Amino acid sequence: MKRALSPTETPQVGRSLPRLESWMKVTGRAEYVHNLRLPGMLYGRIFRSSIAHGRIKRIDVAAAQAVGGVHRVVTAADLKEIVPDPYYGPAFHDQPVLALDKVRHVGEPVAVVLAADPHVAEEAAHLIVAEYEELPAVYDEVEAVGSKAIVHDALKPAGTFPDLKHLKGRTGTNIALDFHLRRGNAGQALAAADRVFEHRFRTQQVMHTPLEPLVSVAESTEESLTIHTASQSPSFVRSEIARLLGWPENKVRVRVPFVGGGFGAKLYIKLEALVAVLSLLTRRPVKISLTMEEQFFTITKHASTFRIKSGVTRDGRISARECEVWWNGGAYADIGPRVTQKSGFTAPGPYDIEHVSIDSYALYTNLPPAGALRGFGIPQLVWAYECHTDMMARELGIDPIEFRRKNLLRDGRPQATGTLMRDAAIEKVLDRLEVLMDWNKPFERGSGVMRRGRGIAVGFKACVSPTTSLAAVTVNADGSCIVFCSTVDMGQGSDTAMAQIAGEVLNLAAESVRVVHSDTDVTPYDMATLGSRSLFHMGNAVKLAAEDARNKLVAMREELKLPADAQIADIFKKKYGMQAGNVLGTGSFIPSYTPPDCATGLTSNATPFWMVGGTGVEVEVDTETGRVRVTRLINVADLGTPINPKIVETQLSGAAIMQLGFTLFEKMVFDEQGQLRNASLAEYKIPGFLDVPEEIINEAVTAEQRSGPFGAKGVGESGTFGVSPATANAIHDAVGVRLTSLPLNAEAVYQALVK
Amino acid sequence: MTPFELAEPRSMREAIALLDANDSSVRPISGGTALMLMMKAGVLRPTRLVSLAKLGLSRIETGLRGELRVGAMTPLGMLERSALVQRGWPVIARTLRTLSNVRVRNVATVGGNLAHADPHMDLPPVLSALGARVTISGPSGERSIAVEEISTGYLETSIRLNELVTLLEVPPLGGRSAAYLKCTTRSADDWPAVGVAVVLQLEKDLVKEASVVISAATDRPTRLAAAEKVLRGRKIDEKLLKQAGEAAAEEVSIVGDLHGSEMYKKQLIRVYLGRAIHEARAKSH
Repeated sequence: MKRALSPTETPQVGRSLPRLESWMKVTGRAEYVHNLRLPGMLYGRIFRSSIAHGRIKRIDVAAAQAVGGVHRVVTAADLKEIVPDPYYGPAFHDQPVLALDKVRHVGEPVAVVLAADPHVAEEAAHLIVAEYEELPAVYDEVEAVGSKAIVHDALKPAGTFPDLKHLKGRTGTNIALDFHLRRGNAGQALAAADRVFEHRFRTQQVMHTPLEPLVSVAESTEESLTIHTASQSPSFVRSEIARLLGWPENKVRVRVPFVGGGFGAKLYIKLEALVAVLSLLTRRPVKISLTMEEQFFTITKHASTFRIKSGVTRDGRISARECEVWWNGGAYADIGPRVTQKSGFTAPGPYDIEHVSIDSYALYTNLPPAGALRGFGIPQLVWAYECHTDMMARELGIDPIEFRRKNLLRDGRPQATGTLMRDAAIEKVLDRLEVLMDWNKPFERGSGVMRRGRGIAVGFKACVSPTTSLAAVTVNADGSCIVFCSTVDMGQGSDTAMAQIAGEVLNLAAESVRVVHSDTDVTPYDMATLGSRSLFHMGNAVKLAAEDARNKLVAMREELKLPADAQIADIFKKKYGMQAGNVLGTGSFIPSYTPPDCATGLTSNATPFWMVGGTGVEVEVDTETGRVRVTRLINVADLGTPINPKIVETQLSGAAIMQLGFTLFEKMVFDEQGQLRNASLAEYKIPGFLDVPEEIINEAVTAEQRSGPFGAKGVGESGTFGVSPATANAIHDAVGVRLTSLPLNAEAVYQALVK
Repeated sequence: MTPFELAEPRSMREAIALLDANDSSVRPISGGTALMLMMKAGVLRPTRLVSLAKLGLSRIETGLRGELRVGAMTPLGMLERSALVQRGWPVIARTLRTLSNVRVRNVATVGGNLAHADPHMDLPPVLSALGARVTISGPSGERSIAVEEISTGYLETSIRLNELVTLLEVPPLGGRSAAYLKCTTRSADDWPAVGVAVVLQLEKDLVKEASVVISAATDRPTRLAAAEKVLRGRKIDEKLLKQAGEAAAEEVSIVGDLHGSEMYKKQLIRVYLGRAIHEARAKSH
């Protein structure tokens, strides 16, 4: 019999181990919340707002309530029995569990029908009638700044963030947060510059489209609550639900099995507060599974407008840069204010610029809320500053790579915040792009209908800070190992990576290490699985916990006077007289951080690590139709030292292909009433296999993140950074037209060609 | 989804009797690939679905005049892979390879495809341009109409509620050259913004006869009579293709949608008509 234990001398870090859960997934045995059915469970179906902004005059649920099989119809008034102030959110407590008094976007949840049969609940939900007094609405992020239509009567920042406190109670504004950074004197330096360039760029609202739509189940007793949920942030869900109910955290348990894709859609509170309160109201387990279509009204990616202005010296050095960014947060702030600041401070790009000014605004509008989506605002910024960079290079007659190299932010130099760059291989990424693109060889641009072009872009990101991860590692009496951590494996391969890290420390084959999934009753606190932070933060915590366990084993062995090569099982046998006991190692990781100065936005320690991603694109443009085909896609990134090279490669290509959809055609299309015209996968298209470029190269440059576990850092987003601007730059290279608004769809290219 | 009755008749007569001339909530179901989506979306709420699965309408053969005869319940994938079709009507096999995906093609049927009348579908313009006909069975017997006459508007057909498509007949290709091109403007697997089917009788570069039908951009497959007239009796060159493209863009009425504006779709028709003619000519060599 093979035991679940494989001591090994082979290094576990650096192995291209297939994901540990692959077999369970392809044989349909992996646990997902969608498959969970509990005895007596009710299914909830949400009735949603049909208007973008209005006061609720009346909700008539009588007809729905009368449908045979309907258990109960619930509105916000009912919820207040359980939660007197039912507003939640990670940055602002602005989002009601169900619309209260007002609706602020089309598709906002207004009521829920509960029934034992989900089809009955669905039928009955159609029979609810709501009457509204319509209010003026605002949709555009720049218009929202001075609009008479005000989305929230007063701002309600959550108490958790000190830098939001000054916003409390502010009225008559749609600006949820304004972030400002001033280094040097950009105004003066622009006036003194030899050349000044100013451009304006826009990105569109898009959706995450995880294949597993949002789903949550709650079961309760009078004084305990268990939530099974497809969430990226179980620890946050526990504390926020406890806060809403006024309960201690130990009465709320949050379990997360496998998650079928997240990309930032499943962070913070989504359906969890609703199912929790519904379960407490009805004393029955309650499940809500969103349809693919409902996800469009739940969480999206920020549309944005970016005005960027640079001053350049005669010899091609960028001396000053002014950035003004408006983020369209939709009706509820979600994590938008964090995007505004934590990504906002990288708006000038990976360039060494002495005089910088940044103004970044989080705006409320009457569109579905926007939050984090694979890149946390960075792809919107890189889109603008890397198009801008190319436009300047071409105006100045300097090769785009040369122009970038001249201005690159090198290790040891201060970034816009003043934080010195460390372990950020920006130049190496640019160098490798140049080589892999054969940049200095002649390039065939074509002469007929089909024209070819190429472009590059480089972006960077600061990992969000400060955040905490805790982990525990047990070694059992037979020597087998269990890792307890709240990192959620949503397809990115974190279970495998954590097993490799623990296995490396304990000399065990990663396949033999068991990783316990998030369960707040069992696994320790973790901030969330987001922003490419898990491998670095949780990886460090798991490494510390495994080292702690190893040290305890060594101490035990020495105490028992066993030889250095004694088997773990023999140590336990000697200690306890039989196969019994275990050691528990713990690890806690929180990197150091210095908050930015309120007035200047400057800090000497903005982030624990930098992610760098560069993209090279070759395109073929059909000059008669404007259709663009990406024929070659090159992704180069600095992700430190890969723990699992194969997973790194698929993270890079996966991120780039996802961003290619946002680049070429994905777009949520709204009409003048704020109604979404394409809320289905028949009308909102994401890339399919036929859209994948014929040639894709993914490369991790040789690098080390010295503070990371075994030299590693995050990789989930780096592949997204440069795709959009590299594509626009390539289109310009091919046909000489410059698009400044995403997506770069065929008609937009054609219109620009015939203009 | 509300409960409904699912009937599985074993004879044509029984099937037709289960349909209802005056009740659109009673529907025949073949592959169900479109129907199930409509039911999920709540657009269709049937009281009874009449399954055609057990009527034995799946076959591919040639008739006495060399025509292709395809039973209405033949899955699209079977048609795609049929050696007979690949040899005699290669344009049909080529078109099917770009139709949706292999999972849909293995389930969706020829009859269902034609009776659904979504203007974005690929087969109707091709079969219309080829001059194909269908046999339709109803309470008073059989009738035969051209595929071109099936669709009367967006999701509307001349097939009555108590009638069924039973057989597709495609005349032999003979010496004709045919091609179908479509253009998607979002993802590659999107519904097309425009589809163009051309069937040409060529003598070297001289167009003896032309049959041109477009789809997707119009609310039903539409014959481009003006473009056909421009093409007839002329030699294929860039000038002719440009004229034909202009005539085509001129003669159709198009409404802009999420696939593209009216102006842009007209441009696509101009371009794709010429490309389809080139493609047809290339296949004839």
